[in-house]
Amino acid sequence: RIMPVRWSRYNPSYLEPEVKKESYQKPLEELTEEEREQMELKAVRPIKAAPPSLSSSVFSDPMISKFTNMMMKSGNKVLARSLMSQTLEAIKRKQLEKYHKAPENEKETIECNPYVIFHQALKNCQPIIGLSNITRGGKTYQVPVPLTDNRKRFLAMKWLITECRENKHRRTLMPEKLSQELLLAFNNEGPVIKKKHVLHKMAEANRAYAHFRWW
Amino acid sequence: TLRLVCTTTAVQRKNVGASGPEKYTEAFIKKQIEEFNLGKRHLANMMGEDPETFTQEDIDRAIAYLFPSGLFDKQARPVMKHPTEIFPEQRKIQWGEDGRPFHFLFYTGKQSYYSLMHETYEKLLNVQKHQDQLIAQDLPLQKEKRNLAGSRWLTKIELEEMLLEKVSDDDYSRFIQLLEKLVALPCADIEEKYIQKFSKEVPVQLQKVVIEPLQHDERGVAFSTGEGKRKTARATAVVYDNGTGKITVNGIDILHYFPVLQDREQLLFPFQFLGRIGKHDMVCTVSGGGRSAQAGAIRLASAKALRSFVTEKEVELMRQAGLLTVDPRVKERKKPGQEGPRRKFTWKKR
Repeated sequence: RIMPVRWSRYNPSYLEPEVKKESYQKPLEELTEEEREQMELKAVRPIKAAPPSLSSSVFSDPMISKFTNMMMKSGNKVLARSLMSQTLEAIKRKQLEKYHKAPENEKETIECNPYVIFHQALKNCQPIIGLSNITRGGKTYQVPVPLTDNRKRFLAMKWLITECRENKHRRTLMPEKLSQELLLAFNNEGPVIKKKHVLHKMAEANRAYAHFRWW
Repeated sequence: TLRLVCTTTAVQRKNVGASGPEKYTEAFIKKQIEEFNLGKRHLANMMGEDPETFTQEDIDRAIAYLFPSGLFDKQARPVMKHPTEIFPEQRKIQWGEDGRPFHFLFYTGKQSYYSLMHETYEKLLNVQKHQDQLIAQDLPLQKEKRNLAGSRWLTKIELEEMLLEKVSDDDYSRFIQLLEKLVALPCADIEEKYIQKFSKEVPVQLQKVVIEPLQHDERGVAFSTGEGKRKTARATAVVYDNGTGKITVNGIDILHYFPVLQDREQLLFPFQFLGRIGKHDMVCTVSGGGRSAQAGAIRLASAKALRSFVTEKEVELMRQAGLLTVDPRVKERKKPGQEGPRRKFTWKKR
């Protein structure tokens, strides 16, 4: 069913583009029923243009682009992107220092790939359950509520960015502070992980009101 | 409330026929048809052509010649068409001389819509009865999958034209749901003819675009051109074969013209997607727009140029990756009473 979209310049029948080359190289037999139907649908319907932040090169990652957009202020994508690349460089440098100083048996456990560290850190920061305000009989209660994947990722990224912007020494730059936070989050330490645990404890404490949720 | 911004012409056409009962009598329409035919013969005579073989295109050309008009709106210019195209089809009077309506559902207000729903539901029950019979006889149910991708249901406007009365959004969605339910049953092949009345063929491949053949340079090098646009930027790209991967924009190397990495990534996107990074040379000209718009325009132009170098399947893959569509997003206009396109003025209590 085609629903008219609120204020999109595209006709609602346009589908999202698929940029990654690997998804087109799968042979026909491996696809499931749904994927086959999707393929047939794509052959008939028009497809939207790929946005400028998306590319099929190895270096473009949707999570990194999302994080860069959230860090961006007043549309200054150039600055945000350079900060992001400096952060990744800083992480790599720190990990390499640790790697070269570590004894032989620990060398394999140290992770040097900044992308892997970034993804793992974000995963560790994601809360499992969230709180929402529900008003019953005049009083507002904090009710524990399950979160969608998108919301979890958004909260993790938001906490990281606010943490880096506020709780730093006046002279430290953003890449320096962000790399510190990401490495701490990778090892399940640091203020962001603490915030996540606080949220979980609050949700556990308000378990009694869980039945107020109606969705 | 939901609103369609970019719509096809089919959706924008107003259905005048469904607005109410008869406005023109049958005798009036017959007279108009006779007058039109006479006028057609007179016109053919005036233009010195054969009245028997005077087609509608000839009529349009003759009228444009005899009554030249500088008006911008095409629908305001003088036109001579067959009366059935000018006066839309409309419902005849639904009641007899004694005032008694013909259709039993007349007093529901939407008689054709409800009778259609009743008919479709009857077909559904029919299919279910057939299915039960087959199960009772222990015969296997036919499970031929209908090709969903090749056909689409009638749009709301087309349904209104068919029923000659107004159909609301809710009614339309209910009808489509009922049709989907009917199609989902395994033995729906019995009612195939009935379903075909409400489904339309979609052109199977969206490859209506013609791919130009390669042209050859004086030195024998194959090249092809492409044009692209994004926001206000317009770009033309010439992609040469047997190259080293050099890209020149307005006579300047891309490293100097696009200092930002994101723009260069966009330029290389089509080449990287097809795996042909070091094999082609490109010379482009671009004007208008900003830094990112120019990059997007060149990307589109190079993708269009690369179509001539590449097989049809790869062209289809490029289309599915979103490289060949023109990006329709432009800057939204500022509205009166607001500070910007969306931002309202600061609310002041007094």
